[in-house]
Amino acid sequence: MADSHGAALARLEPIFSPKSVAVVGATRVPGTVPFDIFQNILKDDFQGTIYPVSPSARAICGVKAYKYVLDIPDPIDLAVIVFPSSVVKLALEQCGQKGVKGLIIISAGFREVGAAGLQREAEIVEIARTYGMSFIGPNCLGVINTDPTVRLNASFARHMPAVGNIGFLSQSGALCTAVLDYAHAKHIGFSKFVSFGNKADLSDIDLMLALKDDPATKVILMYLEEMTQGAAFVEAARRVIHEAGKPVLVLKSGRTQQGASAAASHTGSLAASDEIVDAALKQAGVIRCTTIEEMFNNAIALTYQPLPKGRRVAIITNAGGPGVLTTDAAIHEKLELAQFSDATRDLFKRSLPVTANIKNPVDVIGDARADRYRVAMSAALEDDNVDGALVILTPQSMTDIDTIAHEVCTVAAAHDKPTYTSFMGETDVASGIAILQDHNIPHYLLPETMCRAFARAHDFGTERIRKISAPVQYADVDRAAAHALLDAAIATGRSYLTPSDAMKVLAAYCLPVLKSAIAQTAIDAAKVAVHVGFPVAMKVESDDVVHKFDVGAVVLDVNSAADASAAYDQILANVTAHLPNARIHGVFVQQMAGAGEETILGVKRDPAFGPVVMFGLGGLFVEVFRDVAFRIAPLPVEHVRAMMHEVRAFPMLTGARGRAHRDTAALEECIQRLSQLAVECPQIQELDINPLIIRDQGFGCAVTDARILVKRE
Amino acid sequence: MERSEIEKRVTSVVARVLSIDPAEVASSSNFVFDLGADSMKSIELIAGFEEEFSIEMDEDRARDVQTVDGAVDFITHYV
Repeated sequence: MADSHGAALARLEPIFSPKSVAVVGATRVPGTVPFDIFQNILKDDFQGTIYPVSPSARAICGVKAYKYVLDIPDPIDLAVIVFPSSVVKLALEQCGQKGVKGLIIISAGFREVGAAGLQREAEIVEIARTYGMSFIGPNCLGVINTDPTVRLNASFARHMPAVGNIGFLSQSGALCTAVLDYAHAKHIGFSKFVSFGNKADLSDIDLMLALKDDPATKVILMYLEEMTQGAAFVEAARRVIHEAGKPVLVLKSGRTQQGASAAASHTGSLAASDEIVDAALKQAGVIRCTTIEEMFNNAIALTYQPLPKGRRVAIITNAGGPGVLTTDAAIHEKLELAQFSDATRDLFKRSLPVTANIKNPVDVIGDARADRYRVAMSAALEDDNVDGALVILTPQSMTDIDTIAHEVCTVAAAHDKPTYTSFMGETDVASGIAILQDHNIPHYLLPETMCRAFARAHDFGTERIRKISAPVQYADVDRAAAHALLDAAIATGRSYLTPSDAMKVLAAYCLPVLKSAIAQTAIDAAKVAVHVGFPVAMKVESDDVVHKFDVGAVVLDVNSAADASAAYDQILANVTAHLPNARIHGVFVQQMAGAGEETILGVKRDPAFGPVVMFGLGGLFVEVFRDVAFRIAPLPVEHVRAMMHEVRAFPMLTGARGRAHRDTAALEECIQRLSQLAVECPQIQELDINPLIIRDQGFGCAVTDARILVKRE
Repeated sequence: MERSEIEKRVTSVVARVLSIDPAEVASSSNFVFDLGADSMKSIELIAGFEEEFSIEMDEDRARDVQTVDGAVDFITHYV
């Protein structure tokens, strides 16, 4: 479970910053995990004391070995367990007796191998709890802390990474080694590097919260394969971003349609698990990445440079073509080309060749040396109309690449606005790129990725200070009435509520259901229609008729008592003809909704994230284009608005191409009330309001049909 | 065969395969945790027991045996 504020870092203290480490199960055989981990701790200059524990070796790498951890005469803060899984519990028992507080369990052979492994995992969790020990793993690569006062490489990675401000947390150990190699080539350092494996005790959430309070970590990167505690993860990420102001970047694999295929409703089938993950991460302000490269492209921007305060960029280039490419990329990412002040333009005129382009992008011309870059960068970064500089270089014969790289670093360091670079090419620019990387100037192979990283950094700066209000709690709802209807459905073994009961549940939460009643006879239908008010819609009330239009069980625009009576008979005849065994409870008579735009609202209860609310425009937009947006309930109004605007067809509700302005304020209230209903009524598994008619501004919305699937235990 | 005889011969095999003094081998000793057997030594132990007692053991079940006592119990079923 996730820890409360500050507690996570305290639990991780003996693991991240131990004074003494025992490697339990170490061997003398090079090339094995037990040996390599011991050797890594030793050779990477751990600042504390290390003790090998081995039943058979007297010494490992010249360090005296102990048969049991209990034989070590000194206190032990951290034990790294490398024994085979079958005896890990014996090692843990002794660690507990020894008073060890932190463990890294490298050993595989637990939950990931099936039932027997799961049992072993439960046993080690129990032992750790008994003795008050916290552990990372099992089934992991290990932990690295680059802090010079600690220098712990308790892993079987090939190398200790450089010191940096990126905290990396990974569910995959193998990916960690690839990431370390990639980062090494790009001169990227880390603060903490953790492979958390099966997270049987300390979870990804605990680790994220620990890094929130870790002063050495500025940015948190995570590789996840599943999010079983989705709601808790979102809450923790939100705290990291809004309380500590640290960006969280997630690379999430394991996209699956499994959840969708098992779903029964529109919302259920549209809300595939990955779409929910996507919505949840967006809602938390997490930057979701699709590749390792994208993750580090964003991470270096966020770590190395100040956040852009706006979207206005100055492009400085020694080549016209790349300047245009960068301009296109910037506009694509919704950045703006800064309009330089008169003073800046004058300075450019005085300092740059007459052939130079002094508008944005600033072309300092192909023969530019470091002085021109210095003048252009300095003037641009000092201009109040500029929020950051994008510096391009292509290697001409006279281009002094290394000197320019040094000049870029110097100018960038003198300003509190971000500078990103793209020295285009490979071999000729390599030494210049290395200079930039060594001075923490973000470098990108392509202008497109540079612009994307600038935009993400700006988005994060906006997200970090975004104020989110508390979700509205409507006091006029009748929770008891909704519960009674839902509980009754469950008690009688129903999967779906009847249409009229579904409408009553929505009415209990003051969603704008149309006036309606059930008619039991043709004469009754005439009376009911008069009471409801013409025109009315009529449809069969039956659990057994799912696709009512297909069997002629719906009649619309009924305008008189006589027509209502006739429609009743017609509906019953049609249903009996198509589905002779259908159980019919009467005919549902409902007020017509009137003109408006059809939308769909829905709820799906996700096992990891809880109630998920969906919104989209109706008809083709949902069925063909899947143009829908999701958010996790409860929903503050800011998230409701973001969700509405995320739907590409939303402008159809706001007057696009001469269409009427619809009542989006009423829609906003509907979504908030639905969010409250979803949270307060856990009996609901899936819910569709389809369609919800959005009338013209000031005339509200109307729920014309709804289905509610209850949760069966 | 008497249990004490089996235990004596098991101890002898264990000491020989793991290159340790027989006095270090207790009946409760865990092959991995106490005596330092790695996966290859575990296979050698199984082979050593089969040769010593002229038996053929179910290898999957034999691999689950963790202690000297457990090995004696297991071998008792075969001799």
